[in-house]
Amino acid sequence: MNEFSLYVLDITMNSVRAGATEIEVKLEEKDDMLYFSVTDNGCGMKAEQVKNLKDPFFTTRKTRAVGLGIPFLTMLSEQTGGTVEITSRHEEEYPEEHGTVISASFNKEHIDFIPLGDMTGTVVTLIQGSPEIDFTYKHIMSKGTVSLSCRELKDMLGDEVSLASFEILEWIKEYLEESYESIK
Amino acid sequence: MKTELVMNKLSLKLLAGEVPEDFEGVYAGDFLSRAMSRVSEGDLWITIMNNINVIAVASLADAAAVILAEGVTMDKATLDAADAKGVTVFTCDSTVYEICRDIASVLS
Repeated sequence: MNEFSLYVLDITMNSVRAGATEIEVKLEEKDDMLYFSVTDNGCGMKAEQVKNLKDPFFTTRKTRAVGLGIPFLTMLSEQTGGTVEITSRHEEEYPEEHGTVISASFNKEHIDFIPLGDMTGTVVTLIQGSPEIDFTYKHIMSKGTVSLSCRELKDMLGDEVSLASFEILEWIKEYLEESYESIK
Repeated sequence: MKTELVMNKLSLKLLAGEVPEDFEGVYAGDFLSRAMSRVSEGDLWITIMNNINVIAVASLADAAAVILAEGVTMDKATLDAADAKGVTVFTCDSTVYEICRDIASVLS
């Protein structure tokens, strides 16, 4: 994983596996820092699991689904002087408002930080894999913001049209590429 | 046997686990996600990374041992985890290049 976008994909896939129907992926670049967060309404985790998320043995041995994603994200963040925070509400304790928020900060000017990579490709991959999920993507930069809402797209297209169809994925790809181009 | 030759040639210091009798191949690299797909069962893995994730990757890959280069060591909690998971960790003052070169010379 030598591009940041692969971390974004990896962490967001945890939300997909948690059964979320709404997932917000947000990147915010401010001065030297990059703030990344994924917010979902998935099944959530209990305090015990959250506490152990950064321990790779807990995650790889007992709950394989989480994998090394969080330990690797934490490592990248801490290597650049950032931090990772995870808050979660398990569905058993919060039947109405369950879900997880993972936020991580990075000093993107740090020598150990990695290139951002292909964010457009990552967003398209996520939508293609789970067109039923309402993804919201926001990338805030000093010159402007790139954003996409699957809910808005579905409201325009009608719920019977799958976002995973070739034409729509192509449109999303071009839309994101043009958005990035326009604020370069 | 092979491991003993390498140990003597490089003056490896054992930090955790047991000395494996043999090893299959060698991988050198610090990018853990890359190492995860490249370190094969029974390999020696040479790196300068020393956090707990190194032990997790070595354990998942079933590496013969981790060799920490340039005199890098691990903190006690990490070494305890290595012992608990049966991961062997050595340290060595040489650089990654020197370690690879010396292993190659022992093998040839």
